[in-house]
Amino acid sequence: MNFLSKEWILGYVFAGLFLLMTLFVPGFFEAYNLINMLFQLPELGILSLGMMVVLLTAGIDLSITFLAALAGVIVATLLTNGYSVPVSILAGVATALAGGLLNGFFIAVVGVSPILVTLGTMTLFEGIVLLLTKGNSISGFPESYSLIGNGLLGAVPIPILIFAAIAVILSILLNKTAWGRSVYMFGNNPTATLFSGINTTRVVLWVYLFAALMAAVAAIIMTSRYNSAKVDIGSSYLLQSIAVAVLGGTSISGGYGKVIGVVLAVGIFQIISNGLNLLGVSSMVIDMLMGTILIGVLLINYVSAKRKQSQTA
Amino acid sequence: MKKMNKMLSVSVSVLLALGLMTGCAVQKNTAAPADGAAGGKSDGKLTIAVVPKLVGIPYFNASEKGAKQAADKLGVELIYTGPTQPDAAQQVKVIEDLISKKVDVIAVAPNDAAALTPVLKKAKDQGIKVMDWDTPADPSVVELSVHQIDDEVYGRHMVDLLVQAMGTDSGKVAIVTGGLSAQNLNTWIDWSKKQIAEKYPNLQIIGDKIGTDEKQQVAYQKTLDLLKANPDLNGILAYSTVAPLGAAQAIQEKGLQDKVSLVGVALPKDSKPFLEDGSLDTATLWDPVKLGYLTVTLAKDLAEGKKPTDGQEVENVGKIEVKADGKTVIMGPPSDFTKENAGNYDF
Repeated sequence: MNFLSKEWILGYVFAGLFLLMTLFVPGFFEAYNLINMLFQLPELGILSLGMMVVLLTAGIDLSITFLAALAGVIVATLLTNGYSVPVSILAGVATALAGGLLNGFFIAVVGVSPILVTLGTMTLFEGIVLLLTKGNSISGFPESYSLIGNGLLGAVPIPILIFAAIAVILSILLNKTAWGRSVYMFGNNPTATLFSGINTTRVVLWVYLFAALMAAVAAIIMTSRYNSAKVDIGSSYLLQSIAVAVLGGTSISGGYGKVIGVVLAVGIFQIISNGLNLLGVSSMVIDMLMGTILIGVLLINYVSAKRKQSQTA
Repeated sequence: MKKMNKMLSVSVSVLLALGLMTGCAVQKNTAAPADGAAGGKSDGKLTIAVVPKLVGIPYFNASEKGAKQAADKLGVELIYTGPTQPDAAQQVKVIEDLISKKVDVIAVAPNDAAALTPVLKKAKDQGIKVMDWDTPADPSVVELSVHQIDDEVYGRHMVDLLVQAMGTDSGKVAIVTGGLSAQNLNTWIDWSKKQIAEKYPNLQIIGDKIGTDEKQQVAYQKTLDLLKANPDLNGILAYSTVAPLGAAQAIQEKGLQDKVSLVGVALPKDSKPFLEDGSLDTATLWDPVKLGYLTVTLAKDLAEGKKPTDGQEVENVGKIEVKADGKTVIMGPPSDFTKENAGNYDF
């Protein structure tokens, strides 16, 4: 095993930070705060996994958070109008998938560049949500729905269990299925993938559908946790999810990225933000620090990739 | 060769990790004196957390100033922290971390009142006193609600100011607002309309309220259109802190300072240039510094079990009004900014 791979290094950083925070931040290593963090992390984690899969194909999904808001608003509207929890959730997921299909159609079938398509659909989804809600929030869901985002199974928060399940399933999908391997292949070289007889259109279409599904799951957790749906809920996760995916070692030009890397990266973001909040550091400084870390990691990745290149040359 | 490359990447990573750690260590050090000053819970000093909608905008920077003054004066530990974007999800995280930090009071200005209800309940379960300021939260979870202004008084006041500026109580007026769905703005507009209907029946409101997306540029453009379409317009009421500036810009450009009167919700520093040439007649708002001061003062009282009373004199703020429910506090009447006094404020 290569103990110096990107993922192992992330693991060391994670462990190091955790240890540091435990030693120096009062209140960090307490049951209440640890559980608190397990509640906070899944939303961003799930969106980041969706973003990672898109990045693997050298694409990007700028519409992911507003698609989540749209799905959330649909679920919320149905719930407040007396529909049952499963029906509302299914409708939310279906809405998100329809949005993902729209992205996928223009990107995979028509061939428009992902950044343009998703920039357009981002505004489109935001517009639809504004039209539906007039900018107001929708709230007041049944008790059973709020369990999804706020409930504990034993001592473990339910959202983190959902996140863990998704991470495991995605890991299997990417590594053990034909679709997963094609995603990596497509990211490395779309033309060669096409000429190997792979239906690349279908592969890419599924990628955007997967991202949309992640948006829906994140939306369900968020609306349940906050007992509210609104146009800008989770909007700050857009750039964060790209940042987490990249920090997790995902190559922005496609072809490389691992689930475990993204999971560790979201953990690192979580520990830093919680630890520094507990210390009372200004949130602007926290943002700055995260930016610095991101640039640092990108720099390392760049240097090591360059090294590798000159080695093989 | 391969080994060397690995060595390189390892050393760089170690450097980064070290950088991270020192980064944190530095943070730790800078934070330490504050901790020391507070002395944790041992010396019984209260810790009050004030959470704005977002940090880093002039309005909330001004309230931070007031909150700090009050904290210094009253000898309480103040944590003024909020999200860097007006996203409810981020605000909830900030509050969750404050619960972990075991503060005594949380005073929050919600981005989305409903979204905060679960986390505020959690805070209450942990024995933390919960209150809101600036913008109301779910009334069932807060023990105290600090309002800067009485919405009714404020909405009616704006119409009075406009009539005063126009010099007559008959004519055509238009309403320009920030976001069409902003609840506080809509409440004020409704009270203003009521005031017109009840007190100034000769004032005619033309058209619907005009939304400007909280953008000065849009307000400017739409006011230009408005002036063009209604050459006989006498007055404009502008709601949200940027709409009056855009409207004033349009009036200024068309040289209509003497023909069209404008009254708006605006900060004195921003509106000073327009007040000076008369394109904006009066800006009216509350003092956000005082609001911060009042919030911390009442938070301390809340922690000590003291209830606010109607007509209570709060130092540096003035007389406050308490509504019949015993927990809704109104800071006082609005402050009007004109070309004479706008220079005296630094927000």
